[in-house]
Order: sequence, then structure tokens, then C-alpha cells
Amino acid sequence: MKVVWRAWPVTLRVALATGAMMVLLGLIASQQVLSTLTTLQNDRLREVAQSHVDGLGVALSPFVLHRDVWEVYDALDRAQKANAGERILFTAVADDSGRVLASTDPSRAPIDMEIESLFEDAVPVQDVVAGESGNIVRIREPLFVQGREVGTVLTELDVSDLIAQRRNTSLALLAANTLATLVLGLAGYWVVARLLKPVELLTSHMGALGGTPQPIPDHDIPKSDSTLAQLLFRFNDMVGAIEARSEVERRLADRERFVSLGRLSSSLAHEINNPLGGLLNATDTLRTYPDRPDVVRDAGDILDRGLQHLRDVSQAILDENRRDRSDRPLARADFDDLKLLFEPEAKRLSQTLNWQVNGSDADVREWPSAPIRQIALNLLLNASAAAGKGGNVGLVVGIDSDTFSLIVTDDGPGLSRQAEDRLLSATPLEPGGGVGLRLVRDLVAKLGGEIAVARANAQTSISVRCTAGETDA
Amino acid sequence: MKRRRFLKSVATMAVLGTPHLTRAASAFRLGLTPVFLDNDAVVIDRLRSAVSAAIGEPIELIQRRTYQEITAMLLDGSVDAAWICGYPFLQHRERLALIGVPQWRGRPLYQSYLIAGAEDSATELGDFEGGTHAFSDPDSNSGYLVTASDLARAGHAPEAFFSRTIFTYGHRNVVRSVASGLTRSGSVDGYVWESLAQGEPDLTENTRVVAKSEWMGFPPFAARSDRAEAPEVRRFAEILKALHTSDAGQEVLRLLYLDKVRDGDASLFESIALRMADLPERR
Repeated sequence: MKVVWRAWPVTLRVALATGAMMVLLGLIASQQVLSTLTTLQNDRLREVAQSHVDGLGVALSPFVLHRDVWEVYDALDRAQKANAGERILFTAVADDSGRVLASTDPSRAPIDMEIESLFEDAVPVQDVVAGESGNIVRIREPLFVQGREVGTVLTELDVSDLIAQRRNTSLALLAANTLATLVLGLAGYWVVARLLKPVELLTSHMGALGGTPQPIPDHDIPKSDSTLAQLLFRFNDMVGAIEARSEVERRLADRERFVSLGRLSSSLAHEINNPLGGLLNATDTLRTYPDRPDVVRDAGDILDRGLQHLRDVSQAILDENRRDRSDRPLARADFDDLKLLFEPEAKRLSQTLNWQVNGSDADVREWPSAPIRQIALNLLLNASAAAGKGGNVGLVVGIDSDTFSLIVTDDGPGLSRQAEDRLLSATPLEPGGGVGLRLVRDLVAKLGGEIAVARANAQTSISVRCTAGETDA
Repeated sequence: MKRRRFLKSVATMAVLGTPHLTRAASAFRLGLTPVFLDNDAVVIDRLRSAVSAAIGEPIELIQRRTYQEITAMLLDGSVDAAWICGYPFLQHRERLALIGVPQWRGRPLYQSYLIAGAEDSATELGDFEGGTHAFSDPDSNSGYLVTASDLARAGHAPEAFFSRTIFTYGHRNVVRSVASGLTRSGSVDGYVWESLAQGEPDLTENTRVVAKSEWMGFPPFAARSDRAEAPEVRRFAEILKALHTSDAGQEVLRLLYLDKVRDGDASLFESIALRMADLPERR
């Protein structure tokens, strides 16, 4: 239910909330009105009852004192006729022994009847409340002559008009409240819908196309409300800025590959330069001993090995820079290439490299080659830089059921807070920092994987785990 | 000195002359008992107008709640004449004189009715034993004496025969009492009941006449014997007996459902006297 409520349009929710508050307000106001009406009615009823009883007391007390049946009856009968069709329905008067002297309806309360048996629910005037026991209230009051109680008067009052008035008031309040709630609810819906139209517009463009903000066409931006128009124009500016930033980040990421190669270039130059010495020696040997077949053969072997090594190095560099390899599946050879590229850098820094790649080509082909290579290379370069001269750098690649894991370790001082932010969070990049780790984060996110950083035994360990089939589209 | 004596005699004449002037200016006072429709302001007003027009002087109609009060006023001279019941007339026979007897339905006679609720199954007085009963007035012939004497003849006293008796001090009230169910039965003037049956049928239709008495002298107009020959009383008697000859008088008689007022004598009331004889304590 909660989910359904949240799924409703905000305009409908506001209108319904307004309606609910109106109903609540209406109920409270109606309750107050009815409460006041009841109090007024009861006061009025008590006034009428008191007046009636007082009038009867003045008129009847002397006759009651003398037990003059006829005069009591005559007074009651005339009072009843004078009030015909009004509130007083029935009155009976008893002497001080509780026996009826006369009543307005002798068939109901004949002479000498015990008055106690007439009404058991009669109350004194001050306790009269209209409507508690139907359309009739019953009152019992003593009659006094010179301070002496000489008898009792019991009377029935018709309060159906008061109850009807209360009922009619309740119905009128209900109808008025319902109408007011309906009208104000609809009006609220209309007003809120108009007010929130730009917000809806904004929301729809914010969330469209998988959460990528889209600019709002100019013709959809209201001209009447300058503040809102300003807001929407600002939104469009913001969307433009986001797009520009994404573009910048994308370019940075592209460049990062060249950056990493750049960082490797000197090592690679050594890697090319070192065999060149051997190759040149071999050519000298060939020139010096062209007639010695064994020497020529050995020099040819040296030339062959050196040239093959150069071919491998240049092939790895070419692979790293080739753009159309994004769809190629990962293979163990990718890690061999990486080793070929990274090893010279490790050697240059006299670092010990712990290289461990588990799993067959079939095991790793679930994952794409390019991002995994970029992730591994960036992490290795980062680890190498952290480990420093003579440090230890390790790479462990493994497959555990359907999860690919890549762990890069180093014995450097550990990741700085800024570096950790770049690797683990989406916080904006601070100026001056590299984008290598952020690129790792973005690539892992696209693969639907997770990154974890651990520090134990003076060793930093960054692990990347990707589960098959979770690649982010 | 002569002048002083003259002034003194003028002053004396003025003082002595005042009662005479006052008496001449005072209205004729007629006492009314609840024997007829004493609640009917229209009837009373018409009666006053008709008699005043005939006398040429204003007439004062004096009403009291009980027969006893009016009888006492008649006897002590507070009223000049009164329309009373045959019972108090006989009670004070020596001191009262008849000045006219109304004629109803051709005769100066009426009956007492024993009435009950319209749904009551009683057929005679004995059936009402143990019930509540409404009398008109303890000095009324039709509203008390007839029923009380009937019970006395059967060996009962009203207070013991009925569970409760009440006096309503008006024949119409007796009918109201029975019609409303306040009392089960009532003793009422037959002339009043019949008049109500015509004028207020809604009231009498809730009652039923269970028994009627013998015919008895109609409630008469009476004056104190020693004043019966006084000019104003004689003149009033003549006017009463000539009411049916004037339009105003006929209107009054029509409202009272009477034919006329005529001469009468004490023999009309013999049956009442017989009943009084059965109630020696009330004689």
C-alpha cells in the first residue's frame, strides 16, 4: 500500500492530502458545532422544563396541599390544552404520600396510583439531557408550599424537534463538509497540478533514459513564471555541464591508456635497447666470421630471439592501443601481454614481481578483455609506484565458480584518502589527482563488479571481483 | 348664626343624602351558580346585556365557585337575586322567595343524569361501586343530592360506596371528569348535559347516560323573602319573565337552550324535598 501511495502522482497525493485534512478539519469543526448545539439545546430544554415545573408549582401547590383532585386536574388539563402540540406531553401530580392526584392522561395515571411506578428514569430538571433516551425526556420535581414538600410532579417533554434539529444539523454539516472537501480537493488538485507542472516536467527529464538527465525543450518551459523558467533554464545549463563533464571524463579515460603507456615508455625503451646491443654484437660477429657456419648459426639464433622479443613487445603495445578490441573475450595471453609490458617497469625499480594467473582461457572468456586489462594495468602501475624502489608487487588472478577475481598487492605505505576516494566513491575528482584509479572504479562499475581495499601485514591489497552476467549495459 | 345653621343643615343633608345617591347608582346584582354553563363568557355577557337593556340600568353578574357561597351572599344581601338550585332553595325555604323558574323543553322541569365513560358497560348506579365518582357540588340537587339519596335508599354513603369522590364545582366539569377518565362516573344536571350535547358534542360523546332521575323543579331564580317585593327585585322578575318577548332576551334564551322564564311555586320542588328527607344529615 505504501509503495502504491508513493507511486501516485504528486499532484494527486497533494490533492488527497488536502482532502484528508479538510475531512479532519470538517470533523473537528462539526464536532464543535454539534457539541455547542447540544449544550444550547440542553440549556433551552432545562429552561423550558424549569419554567413548566415552576409554573405548575405555583398553580398546583395549594391544591396539592389540600389534595383537591379536581382543581389539580383542571389546572393540568388547561395547561395541557394551552400547550397543545408543543413540548409537554404528559404531566402527573402526586400528593406527599406518592399517590397520584391527577394527570393529564387519567387512563395512564389514574387517581391514587403509585407515582413511583410511572417513570423509573425520571430525573431532576438540572440533570435533563435531550436525546439520551429517545424523543422523550422525563422529569421529576418536588412541589413545595412554604418550604414544605407537599407532593411531586412528573412530566414528559417531547424533544423530538431538538433531536431532529440536531440530526438535520449533522446532515447539513456532513453535506456541506463533503461538498467543501470535494470542491476544495478538486480546486487544490487543479492548483497543485498547475503549480507542480514544471516540477513534473523537471522530474520527467531528470529520470528519463535510465537516469541520464535530458535537457527540457525551450517550448516546454513556461514563460509566465520567471522564477520557474529560470530554474528550468538552470537545469538545462546543468544538464549541459554534466554532459560536458562526462565527455571530459571519457576523454581523460581514453588518455589514461596513453598515460599508462607513457609511464611504461622508458622501461620499454630499455626493453628494446637491451636486446639491440646483443643484436648489434651478433651482426658484428656475422661480419667478422662469415665463413664459420657454427658462429653464423649462433649469431642467427641470437638475432632471431632478439627480434622475436622486440616483436612481442611491439605487439603488446599495439594491442594495448588497439581500439577495436573491446568485444574480444579475455584470455590468459592478455595477462602475458600485461606482464611483458609491466615487467620492465618492475625491473627498473628493482621490484620483486609475484605474478600468478589461474584458470584457463575457457574459464576467463566470460569477461571482456579490454576493461580487465586496463583495470589490471592501472592497478599494477599504482602498486608499483606505491611500492617504490626494491618493493614487492603482486598480481593474483583467479576464478571461483562464476566469479572472476583480480588482486593486486604492494608493500607500499597504503592508499591515501584521496586515492581511496577516487577508487571507491563517486565524489568529484579533486584537481591535480590522476584519473587512473577513478577509471578503474568506472570500469568495474560497468562490469557490475566490486572493489575492496585491505591493508594487512604492511601490505596493501586491492581486489576486484566480477560475477559473470552482471555486466552493466 | 342663621347663616351658620343654614350651612350646618346643608352639610347634614349632604352627608345623609350620600347613601341614597350611592344606592341609586349601584347596579342590580345577580348571583350565578355553576348550575348552567358558567364558563361560557359569551352567554354571561349576553345575559348581562339583555337584562341591562331591559332594566335600563347596568346589571352586575356575580359568580362564585360554590352554591354555598352564592346562597350565603343571597341570604346576607350581597346580591339582590340569584339563579340557584332547587336544593339550596328548599334548604332556605323560609328565607327565600321564587321570582321565576326557567322553562326547558316546554316544562319547568329537569332531570339528574348518572353518566359514565362511553365505553363503560355499567347499567345502573350499583355497577359503579368501588369506582371513582364526580359530584358537581354538595349543595346541588342533580349534581349530588339525587345520587346521594339513591345510595342512601340502598343503605350506602357515597364516601363508602365509591373508592373516591370528588367535587368539581360545575356540571360541565363533571362531564369533563368522566369524559377524560379522571373518574369512572358522575352526577350531572340533565339540562346541562343535553345543552353540552348540542353545543360541545365532542365532550359529551365520550360519556354515556347510564340513568336518569325523575323530573324535578328546574333551578329557579330566587330573592330574599324580605326583599322580594322591593321595586328593583320586582322589576327584575318582570324582566326575566318577559325575556322571551325581546330579541335580545330571545338570544340569551337561545344561548341557554331555554324557552322562557315563568312563574313558579314551591310545589315544583317536592320531589327534591323527598330526596332531602332521605338525607336527614344534609337537610
